[in-house]
Amino acid sequence: MKATRASVSPIAWLIAPSALLFALFFFLPMGLMALISVLSGNPVVQSNVTFTGKYYARILSDSYYFEVIWTTIRIGLFTTLAALLVGYPLAHWMARIRGRTAYALLMMSVLTPMLTGIVVRTFAWMALLSDKGAINQTLTGLGLIAKPLSLMYNEFSIVLGLTHIYIPYMVLTLVGVIGRIDERLEHAAQNLGASPLRAFFEVTLPLSLPGILAGSLLVFALAISAYVTPILMGGFQIMTLPMLIYQQISSSFNVGFAAALGMVLLAISLALIIAYNRILGMISGQRDLQ
Amino acid sequence: MSAAIDIVAVTKTYDGRTRAVDAVDMAIREGEFFSLLGPSGCGKTTTLRMIAGFETPTEGTIAVGGADVTHVPAHKRDMGMVFQNYALFPHRSVGENVGFGLRMRGMDRAMIARKVTDALAQVELVGYEDRRPGQLSGGQQQRVALARAIVIEPRVLLCDEPLGALDKKLRQSMQFELKQLQRKLGLTMVFVTHDQEEALAMSDRIAVMNAGKVEQIGTPSEIYDRPGTRFVADFIGDTNLFRGEVIRTGGTCVLRVDSDLSIELAEEPGTIGPLSVALRPEKIVLTAPGAHAGQGLDGIVESANFQGGSVLYRIEAAGRRLLAQQPNNGSHELFQAGAAVALRWTPSDIVILKD
Ligand SMILES: Nc1ncnc2c1ncn2[C@@H]1O[C@H](COP(=O)(O)OP(=O)(O)O)[C@@H](O)[C@H]1O
Ligand SMILES: [Mg+2]
Repeated sequence: MKATRASVSPIAWLIAPSALLFALFFFLPMGLMALISVLSGNPVVQSNVTFTGKYYARILSDSYYFEVIWTTIRIGLFTTLAALLVGYPLAHWMARIRGRTAYALLMMSVLTPMLTGIVVRTFAWMALLSDKGAINQTLTGLGLIAKPLSLMYNEFSIVLGLTHIYIPYMVLTLVGVIGRIDERLEHAAQNLGASPLRAFFEVTLPLSLPGILAGSLLVFALAISAYVTPILMGGFQIMTLPMLIYQQISSSFNVGFAAALGMVLLAISLALIIAYNRILGMISGQRDLQ
Repeated sequence: MSAAIDIVAVTKTYDGRTRAVDAVDMAIREGEFFSLLGPSGCGKTTTLRMIAGFETPTEGTIAVGGADVTHVPAHKRDMGMVFQNYALFPHRSVGENVGFGLRMRGMDRAMIARKVTDALAQVELVGYEDRRPGQLSGGQQQRVALARAIVIEPRVLLCDEPLGALDKKLRQSMQFELKQLQRKLGLTMVFVTHDQEEALAMSDRIAVMNAGKVEQIGTPSEIYDRPGTRFVADFIGDTNLFRGEVIRTGGTCVLRVDSDLSIELAEEPGTIGPLSVALRPEKIVLTAPGAHAGQGLDGIVESANFQGGSVLYRIEAAGRRLLAQQPNNGSHELFQAGAAVALRWTPSDIVILKD
């Protein structure tokens, strides 16, 4: 027995608190949610609770829920794509910039969306995008459009708002990865006859795939679980899964159904993550990516 | 195939003030092994990067094979380059690395495969096509980088301290192989190094650089035996430097260093004012004191450093410390620390330097 005690590495004691936290606040709630989603009621307050699949059956039977789930995922995908398309060039620029001041300025401008409150941010978007907002006023004034474009309170504005706040996550993840790619690799490619653009696609892009993967997953996970921004930017016109779950708990008191919806969201996210990982791994030919 | 490189009055500043490369002129001949030698930060890499096209000169022009390439982008210059850390593509196999340049040139697969095999044979890495660079040793990576650069049959091969990361033994054998390959292919080679032994051993000609400027261009023996400046004499090999006033008496010219030491000069320096001269340690002959003949001094051996083929002495003489090197070939008396010795040399071994 003495031998086993001695073999416990001191590191284990350092890991123990975080492992405990992880179990308590991650696995336990997750397990409870899974359990509640298949129980007919709350076992704490009710007797004769049985196992049931009725919540899942309800989700499958009504296309409305399918719509909500699909909308949520669509918003997540578009947000991720937009954040990647805007964030990648920005991150590349930041990773390669030489001056310290220029880097600091860029970093500050990337972080501003995180530093402004959500209400302020939403009002700023409203001032820009609403029917009487700056963009529509300008376009009508110039005679380019007859009636205002609907830019606010729809999926477009939700994606815009989400992209705005989640771009920093994408950029910061990518800057780290791109910054570690030796610039000389691009130079080597150019020296061998690749144009700068070709060198980017042959060398930098494949080598930054782990960053693209990490950044995309982060933004996607944040976007599909966002609650406040979709409400404010969507003006309650668009229903997403987090809103639906909140509604089920707060107004319908249907915890079991909410849990089932949560499980569905989780399952879909996991499936997407695995598929995405596979595809990127295949494109880059890097088996070690997974 | 191979081409000459003409660098004319090239200056480069990164920040608009300090000159990383300062009014450099070099005429590198076709098929020549040309080294850029100098201490870290003297502008060797910057010069090479301008030749490769990764940097544009702030002033001046660079021509390859007679055509001005100063503003031609890197990917259109048709030059091979071996980078300081090899810069192999970590996500591609050895074969793909070597074939990269050929693929960029639109060559068909079968042809690429054949050329890659040939190039890998040149560097003795047959059968390594499918490995990743990360699975190779430093020396093997170095060979892959070399194969990748020569397979495109470049007009010029540029190397930035390619052997810097290898251990001494491997470095020496790679020096030999690199030189062989360069000669066999008749390549114009620009080779950057801070290692003077490497430069002396491999080069047809060497440009010694200091603080962005070229101090001297010459063959290894010119650089070593007739250093033009105080910096070159000091940087290349061990040397004894003296500085004094030129005094002309009768037909002879003497450098008066101080009251204890005057050195006879074989030639008239042609300048007035203070002057520096150099004397290589191996040009000094040590004998037991008394047997006076020729220019010389008497001194005490401070330390004798046995180096195998020779002995390097530190000698206290005329109030200063001098270096003297004697071959260990049986015809020279060997001295211990503390021994009294006479130092002799011929005036023609004294090299007059510019500051
Ligand atoms: N990208 C750069 N930006 C600013 N300064 C640089 C850059 N590259 C080199 N330098 C400066 O230029 C000088 C010469 O550098 P370099 O050509 O790399 O020297 P070497 O290769 O001889 O060690 C150094 O003072 C260095 O700090
Ligand atoms: Mg360098």
